Amino acid sequence: MLLQQVINGLTLGAVYTLIALSFSLVMGILGVLNLAIADLFMLGGYFGLTVVIGGHSVWLAIACAMVGAAILAFVVERVAYRPLRDAPVIMPLLSTIGFSIIFQNVALNLWGSDPLQLPDELFDERIAIGPASVGVMQVVVLAVAIILVAALAAIVQKTWLGRGLRAVAENWDVARLLGVPASRVVSAAFILSGLLSGAAGVLIGLHYSAITPFTGVDTGLKAIAVMVVGGVNRIWGVLIAGPLIGIIEVMSIVYGGSAARDMVVYGLMILVLLVRPQGLLGGTRTEGQRV
Amino acid sequence: MSTYVAGLLADVGIGLLGGLSVYIILATGQLSLGNAAFMAVGAYLCAALTVLLNLPLTAALVIAAAATGVMGIVVGFPALRLRGIYLAMATLGFGEMTRSFFLNFGFTGGANGFHGMQPVSTLYIWAWAAGVLVLVTVLERSRLWLELRAVNDDEVASGLVGLNATAIKVGAFGFGAAVAGLGGGLFAHHRLYIEPADFGFEKSVEMVLMVILGGSTVAPGALIGSALLTILPEALRVLVDWRFTGFGALLILVLLFRRQGILDRHLWRRLAGRRGAAP
Amino acid sequence: MLHGHVVRTWRLPGIVGAAGFLGAAAVAGLALAADAPQLTQAGRLAGQEIRIGAIVPSSGPFAEWGKTNTITLKMLEDEVNKAGGVDGAKLKITIYDDAARPAQAANLMRKLADDDQVLAVAGPLTSSAVEVAFPVANQAKLPATSQASSKPGVAALNRPWGFRNTIDEGVLARATVPYLKSAYKVASVAIVYDAKDAVSTSIAKGVMPAVMKAEGIKILNEDSPVSFNTGDIDVSAQITAIKALNPDALVIGADYSQAITIIREMKRQGFVKPVIGGTPLISSAILKAAADLPIVAPATFYAGMKGDSVAKFSASLTPPLRKGAGLPAEIEPSMYDANIYEIVNMYLDAVRKAGVTGKPADLAADREKIMKDLTDLKGFRGFSGPISFNKDGDAIKPFFVVLGKDGRWTEMVRGCSAPDGKSC
Repeated sequence: MLLQQVINGLTLGAVYTLIALSFSLVMGILGVLNLAIADLFMLGGYFGLTVVIGGHSVWLAIACAMVGAAILAFVVERVAYRPLRDAPVIMPLLSTIGFSIIFQNVALNLWGSDPLQLPDELFDERIAIGPASVGVMQVVVLAVAIILVAALAAIVQKTWLGRGLRAVAENWDVARLLGVPASRVVSAAFILSGLLSGAAGVLIGLHYSAITPFTGVDTGLKAIAVMVVGGVNRIWGVLIAGPLIGIIEVMSIVYGGSAARDMVVYGLMILVLLVRPQGLLGGTRTEGQRV
Repeated sequence: MSTYVAGLLADVGIGLLGGLSVYIILATGQLSLGNAAFMAVGAYLCAALTVLLNLPLTAALVIAAAATGVMGIVVGFPALRLRGIYLAMATLGFGEMTRSFFLNFGFTGGANGFHGMQPVSTLYIWAWAAGVLVLVTVLERSRLWLELRAVNDDEVASGLVGLNATAIKVGAFGFGAAVAGLGGGLFAHHRLYIEPADFGFEKSVEMVLMVILGGSTVAPGALIGSALLTILPEALRVLVDWRFTGFGALLILVLLFRRQGILDRHLWRRLAGRRGAAP
Repeated sequence: MLHGHVVRTWRLPGIVGAAGFLGAAAVAGLALAADAPQLTQAGRLAGQEIRIGAIVPSSGPFAEWGKTNTITLKMLEDEVNKAGGVDGAKLKITIYDDAARPAQAANLMRKLADDDQVLAVAGPLTSSAVEVAFPVANQAKLPATSQASSKPGVAALNRPWGFRNTIDEGVLARATVPYLKSAYKVASVAIVYDAKDAVSTSIAKGVMPAVMKAEGIKILNEDSPVSFNTGDIDVSAQITAIKALNPDALVIGADYSQAITIIREMKRQGFVKPVIGGTPLISSAILKAAADLPIVAPATFYAGMKGDSVAKFSASLTPPLRKGAGLPAEIEPSMYDANIYEIVNMYLDAVRKAGVTGKPADLAADREKIMKDLTDLKGFRGFSGPISFNKDGDAIKPFFVVLGKDGRWTEMVRGCSAPDGKSC
């Protein structure tokens, strides 16, 4: 049973990782908590599930969810972030909450409050591993999480966009002086995070096979905790923090503390903020690249 | 006045206290996304005092506010290490922990909630709300508030002129928490039933919204914000299924086109001036 | 109480088919004398308006129920008015959306009491909203009846004006558990519940353990019941932990929406065992979660239920429901639609029987008449049979233990919520 629980924890961790990565991308570069991400992820799930239920392939569903969420992320950037770039951090945070409220309401009106369920025939198949078993979708979720993180790493480390992101993260004005199209880079950060959250949404929707318009909020808050534990300025940190929190949650259930689960997770988040703001794995306190 | 209007007014009064609790902490440049936790503690404590110990409400409110204030100070010390969005996230975590605590705390009913309070009048709620608003407004003209602002504007410089930034920041946390606790106590006796879900993340955000929308530079801004957030969901009923979309859109529009909030110092001075000129 | 031939003289007005004055007469309690003085009776309130209020959650997490409730009430209003109104008076139902938020529910209760001057209120739906709105109704001396709240003791705290057209979960479990035990040879169970939700918590930690013990069923995780939180999408660890205990059945304390997440995970992990829960499980959506996994739950109404009145109700309500904005194309009337339909009809019945005048000057007296009529309600026929209220304000009426399997509900046992279990 323990092996099975570790698999459960890792899957949950992968889910958190994907969403935390979306948060981290915007937070790490711009220092902005885009709370609409929680609902972009929910909408990604609806887009994807609608495509799959319509009889199309999973790949088309993933593509639609990613593109759909990215377009909305771009809208959020243009409307809720760009005009408020110079305002105190609370302003864009609240304006993204405005979008969050709108997204939930739209999803509710379009798809209703009953869970949207995948039909049985599209249900996950399982592969036995000794006493435990793992679902095909579960493997896909884990694999896609790793692929997306690797792709993101390649973009940030190797491409001009990545250099631009890192430059903007360091200093907006200096970046512009160096010829970085800062404002386009910011849009790109939002779009990338939209792509990620859309992918997360559809994978999670396909794996758990039931979503509601309110799926985003609680999972989103947990993902913020994961981002913090991994180190706000280090997007790689979530790769460790996601599975860690996934396993912690699962173990609290195994050892009879399911009621205290949230207290443990958020307690860990506060502890990390206070004691190791650079994240569990972060290096020195102040230096190091932010992305 | 119909009881409907009275009920809404009572909500506005309690909301005002919640908004002011954020406003006071924000004056030192600290953003709390967890003030609903202080409200929860005030609500549960005050309700337990009147229901289980039969204490008179006013006494229970004072004790609850004081206890919540002490709690605010305790939270305020570690908060010193953090600023901006980091403090916001830490307080968010604190809020979720507190909600989770009350969910598991059998003594106050856990998920089942807590009953048995006696109702209070809208007037009583407003006596407290207006009292705190006046207190904060008076404080704003004092040297203490100048110091708060100075700490907000430039901590290093204010340190140089001998201001104790630590005491001021922690004190603001304590004062803000006490006001939230007071609001919680009144909330419990207005609603007559409280449950952990009343004090979640959404509530904390609502309190911050009141200040930011109403006007974060003057205390009465919280009043405008509280009125707005109480009345808008009712006024937007004409949109039927889309009323929350309308609410979200309005929220974004105000943030975009009136960043300082509806009531700013300029507008407040004009309003206050005109009022002063009247006989 | 015997019914016999009375069974067919449905006292719910306006059901399609029972048209015109015949319907109105049946409604007025004159069913056995259909040719009696219905004309004078029908005209008693001519020119007046009978105002009833309703609080439903048309937005927020229970929007589906709120929206179908709204359509149900509009249909009922239409039917009654087409059939000549309430003793000649026009029926007006003012429906408000509380978004399942307690604060809004309380304010709307005040609005209905004072601004809209309604005679009585149907709703609110969720227990949290009822907890806050019923004290308001009690202060305003306004009869209010919830269509769904089943958290133990909520109406009892708000007597004499608060009622619920629902049955206490404790009473229901005493019928569902023995059925589960005998039908599936259940000797042991495990418990999983939504720790964030009051009704779910009380079903899983209070009601079910007591009944299980009384039935001699072993609870494998009684000391540490497994919980999750409303909104959790992943419950795999909970199910793995429970599967390891190998219980014969699973107790789910959750509403249907969360229960779907649980059932899908059970299916995913190949843990196909019967599940049992309270009324919050009843919905058509849960039937789609796993066709081969038996769901045992109590209901007073379910889609596909037998009976003439039910058939008529379903036939007239289903088309407008399916046309409703934001509702699934294959939606069926829910138990809460039936409940709110019954509630308003009880009110209208009281208006007719108790001499309510409908005049603004008599508002307080009229409200009291309706409250008294409900308190001593006798012989009102709901969909499952006669309805009355116990001293806690909860409904005494027949109910069914239903089994959800292969995409539909089937009635298995018939029960009664009277103290002796059979006076329905």
